[in-house]
Amino acid sequence: MTSEPMTAAQKVAHPADDAAVAPIAKAKPVKAVRAMIDRYTWYEYAAIYAGIALFLFFVLAPFIEGFMVSLKPLSRLFSSPYSFWPKEGSLTAYFTMWESVPGFWRYIVNSLFISTTATVIVLIMVVPAAYAFARFPFPGRGALLGAFLAVNMFSGAVLLIPLFRLMRQMGLLNTYWAMIVPGAAFLIPSAIWLLRTYMMRIPRELDEAAWVDGASRLYTLRRVILPIAMPGIAVVAITTFIGAYAQQFIFALTFNSKTEFMPLAIGLFAYFGRQEVVWNELMAASFVGIAPVLILIVFLQRYLVAGLTAGAVKT
Amino acid sequence: MSQLSLKRVEKSFNEAHIIKGIDLEVSEGEFVVFVGPSGCGKSTLLRMIAGLEEVTSGEIVIGGRTVNDLPPVQRGIAMVFQSYALYPHMTVYENIAFPLRVERLPQAEVDRRVSAAARVLQLETRLQQRPGTLSGGQRQRVAIGRAIVREPQIFLFDEPLSNLDAALRSEMRIELMELHKRLGSTMIYVTHDQVEAMTMADKIVVLDAGTISQVGSPLELYHKPDNLFVAGFIGSPKMNFINGTVTAADGTTATVDLGALGTISLPRQSRSVAGQSVIVGIRPEHLRLGKGDFTLTVTPKIVEHLGIHTVTYADLPGGENFVGLFEGDPDVPEGRPLEVSFAQNQVHLFDSAGLAVY
Repeated sequence: MTSEPMTAAQKVAHPADDAAVAPIAKAKPVKAVRAMIDRYTWYEYAAIYAGIALFLFFVLAPFIEGFMVSLKPLSRLFSSPYSFWPKEGSLTAYFTMWESVPGFWRYIVNSLFISTTATVIVLIMVVPAAYAFARFPFPGRGALLGAFLAVNMFSGAVLLIPLFRLMRQMGLLNTYWAMIVPGAAFLIPSAIWLLRTYMMRIPRELDEAAWVDGASRLYTLRRVILPIAMPGIAVVAITTFIGAYAQQFIFALTFNSKTEFMPLAIGLFAYFGRQEVVWNELMAASFVGIAPVLILIVFLQRYLVAGLTAGAVKT
Repeated sequence: MSQLSLKRVEKSFNEAHIIKGIDLEVSEGEFVVFVGPSGCGKSTLLRMIAGLEEVTSGEIVIGGRTVNDLPPVQRGIAMVFQSYALYPHMTVYENIAFPLRVERLPQAEVDRRVSAAARVLQLETRLQQRPGTLSGGQRQRVAIGRAIVREPQIFLFDEPLSNLDAALRSEMRIELMELHKRLGSTMIYVTHDQVEAMTMADKIVVLDAGTISQVGSPLELYHKPDNLFVAGFIGSPKMNFINGTVTAADGTTATVDLGALGTISLPRQSRSVAGQSVIVGIRPEHLRLGKGDFTLTVTPKIVEHLGIHTVTYADLPGGENFVGLFEGDPDVPEGRPLEVSFAQNQVHLFDSAGLAVY
């Protein structure tokens, strides 16, 4: 009986290497081998975890409360005394939300479409740009990079009115492009910075070796630099996608008035009725809306972490 | 006929003058080593020959063609980089095949050339591995393989062994020399390590602050250094230098006053050195224990026992360091005064400008 949970624990400890390690691990009792610098006393652990818990609570409290609200029936929401745990809690809101706003799925699709298109545009622009900024010393390089940082300091909100005039001039108002173009534009600077830093860690000798062997700049970019920069590009793609998803609200609110193009964040307003707000369905809809991104992040987070921390190349 | 010639080649980065007018002829099949301390411009010069750095002025001629403005691939050169510059995401096969892929050669030809290179370099069993799984010496061989497949006229090596440990380095040195014999192509090799230069080169080019200090075979540089820089750079341990003044030079003999050490008479034809302050050089390995042509007494501070050699470090009355290298394991304890001597014909003499006096 006792040996079975032991092996399970070992498997958790070494998820990557299995069969080869198992016999050795079985012989010795499991003892986490840590470097001296990573060893802490119990009260240090307690303090560390208490700190993490406090931080997580602040970050997650709105989500928890939102989730609780989504489980409660509407009539119970404003009952006093307030109860955190839902009485008569159920998932009903997750079903009724589709009936009260029948076009809700469309908003989710719109959101994904706008974010994906913006991400693709950003990547197409940023990959060659980051390579150029990382490799070529051209006049105005520093000034341009500085300008990109400066653009990052303005949020889109500050520039809404000029952007609105620009959109009207170009006839982009009330189209998908009204949300995609400014979204991509504001995400390009930080993406260039991120990818440029990554590409600068790729040794210049690789470019030189390819150049000596007769490869053109574009050939080198395609065959040598891009494959090596893939983790960095993945990070840029993920952060851009999240950024695009998050910033749709302001552009959609201002530049688009067509219901069928609305992204999720605006679509949620449909739950604001004339008389009352259907809070529980609104919360349920919010969770359904972020679910696709959440799932995406769960799958891609290892690339995110690996790309942000790993050294670019070991030659 | 020379295959590569440099004609008054210069290079400046903005204000900094890196290469100050270099003339050099390299004939086909020669193994030429550029050697010098760090910052002397040897790597820059190699990169200029490769086509990675622009030439500020002067001409680089390869096979009778001025190549100043040609990209590397049209110069008929291949280069092996210090860090090997292997592509980490490609297999060994694809790394070696890279130049052929660029040329878009048919697969059968790529196969033929890559397997030929792999056979020469003993990489046949490694072809499907990634560079990350290889040892330093194997990576080095892959980098050489990538250079070989193009069948260039000239190979350029930029400090290729400096990332290897000492044992592997001497092994690879021999492999490179064998490779040179087998391929018979011209090789230009940059190093800061004078042992590599001495052992591998047909011709050594000693560079000092952007100029050629001396060009010659290893033994020419060892026996007849043109100047103080080469004398001090070639040979290990370094040549001993003693300051002195020429009191008389009659066309056959120059008499040098070495201060507290006494005077020494050297066979020299030059009369113009009379009255000049000069530097007398003697290699540590040319010292003998006991009395001889010129005898002096030194007290070793430090003694190194290497088994095959014993090295002693002492100070001279004038403050110069004085190193002795003796064969075997003689009885020379630290702190005990020691009588050493050397023969007159093994002494080097340099005038006040640092040029050798004959």
